[in-house]
Amino acid sequence: MTSTSAAPSPAFTFSASTFQKLHPAEYFRKFISQGVRPDGRLLTGFRPTTVHYGVISTANGSAMVRVGGTTVVCGVKAEVAEPRLDSPDQGYLVPNVDLSPICSSAFRPGPPSEQAQVTSDAIDRVLKESKVLDLKDLCIEEGKAVWSLWIDVVCVSYDGNIYDAALASVMAALANVRIRKPTYDEGIVKVSGAQELDDDNSFKLNLNRTPLSASFVLFDTSLELLADPNFAEESICEGQISVTVDEEGQICALSKVGGGSSSPSILKECVDRAKERSKDLRALMQQQ
Amino acid sequence: MSRVELLSPEGLRIDGRRPAELRKITSTTAVLSQADGSAYLEHGNTKVLAAVYGPREARHRALVLHDRAIINVEFNVAPFSTGERRRRTKNDKRLLEMASFVKQTFEPVVVTTLYARSQIDIYLQIIQHDGGTLQACINAATMALIDAGIAMTDYVCACTAGWVEREAAIDLNHIEESSDTSEVTVAMLPKSGKITLMQMESRLHVDKLEEVLSLAGEGCKQMHVVMDKTIRDRAEDLAAKMAV
Repeated sequence: MTSTSAAPSPAFTFSASTFQKLHPAEYFRKFISQGVRPDGRLLTGFRPTTVHYGVISTANGSAMVRVGGTTVVCGVKAEVAEPRLDSPDQGYLVPNVDLSPICSSAFRPGPPSEQAQVTSDAIDRVLKESKVLDLKDLCIEEGKAVWSLWIDVVCVSYDGNIYDAALASVMAALANVRIRKPTYDEGIVKVSGAQELDDDNSFKLNLNRTPLSASFVLFDTSLELLADPNFAEESICEGQISVTVDEEGQICALSKVGGGSSSPSILKECVDRAKERSKDLRALMQQQ
Repeated sequence: MSRVELLSPEGLRIDGRRPAELRKITSTTAVLSQADGSAYLEHGNTKVLAAVYGPREARHRALVLHDRAIINVEFNVAPFSTGERRRRTKNDKRLLEMASFVKQTFEPVVVTTLYARSQIDIYLQIIQHDGGTLQACINAATMALIDAGIAMTDYVCACTAGWVEREAAIDLNHIEESSDTSEVTVAMLPKSGKITLMQMESRLHVDKLEEVLSLAGEGCKQMHVVMDKTIRDRAEDLAAKMAV
């Protein structure tokens, strides 16, 4: 008599997509144990990224960035404003990230979500703390008038890792900005009319550095590092690490949030990989 | 009378179009991976993105209708889309009004009885504004609804027309809109020729109304041709992919 030593066949089986819905974490773990991710990337892989400049003609500078399924549009508008009393020669930078319900079914209509505010604030701090722009460049007349740059990021399609995409779009849009030269005359700021923009009647922003970021999530107790998480990966994984570096490889911002404790060696690895990634991204942005 | 000359002596408009000429239309569907249906539409420099989510479970139990779906429209204007930056809050009356126009346009056209107890969300995002937002929103929403596979009795095609200085003109841009021109937005069901929405907010002599309306109707028919082509191309593309 031939005995079947194989395990008894299960009473029922699932299709892969059903299994994914019932046990998302387990489904995911099976992939990770093989060293790949469900979308076919390696653990270290970033999604295909594209950058387009000048997509909005009503804005002073604009850019659209796609990172896989995440698409953001950033528009910069310059407006004349009165400077603060304690910094009479400095302009304003006001970044804002909008995660409206159009971009994913995960977002509800209503006031800006916590995630949108956190992202806006993170970008705000990177721009100001690492002095991307000398705010004195935005001065029109000391104590009277300065430029206020409204940097609005609209997320059009959300598939994870909004911070990387938003920061890249902000930096690209800032590099794309052209503002007409103003003249100040006794309390009135005049900006010349409708002729074509050229080097004589407009100026570009002088960016001191271009910080770009790379984000990673920590999966499970094995603490596997997954680069550039998409929405599904973000919702399964616990801890998230974002490293922002400039072109000289200096760290401009670093954040580690959520559960899943990490070690200095993991952080070191993130920083190294972020340097690589930001170099690639920077090359991509300069191609055009 | 405005100081800007909107119509040249040769009868050309400020952007070089003839009075009965539409702006360049670019349209695509299925642009967003997250939404059930989506469309991107350009009328010249006006750019609109529409996303449809649903039919899905209604957010508020109290709103559920036992015999049909509810349609919810949210309208959002990107802060950088207009000439002057203005932060539009969610409760801006003008935005709510626009959303309600779009909602009322689609309620009789979408076969809501097929989707009892559910909700269909239409989200509209203006990315760049150069006049004719309402028409662009309605056209984009139509394509997004079709892309989402939601049953409708017909296309809804919208077009604006107005009286520019001494002639009726179609598809007004921002400069024409903002310089004291009367403007009518018409949304039409091209198959039956029925009008589902007509919207005018300024003075227009009653004798001129018919001419303006017939021009808007012509525009709606042209819009239908363009939208239908986009939808058919997309369907053929999908069919070809499925056959492989």
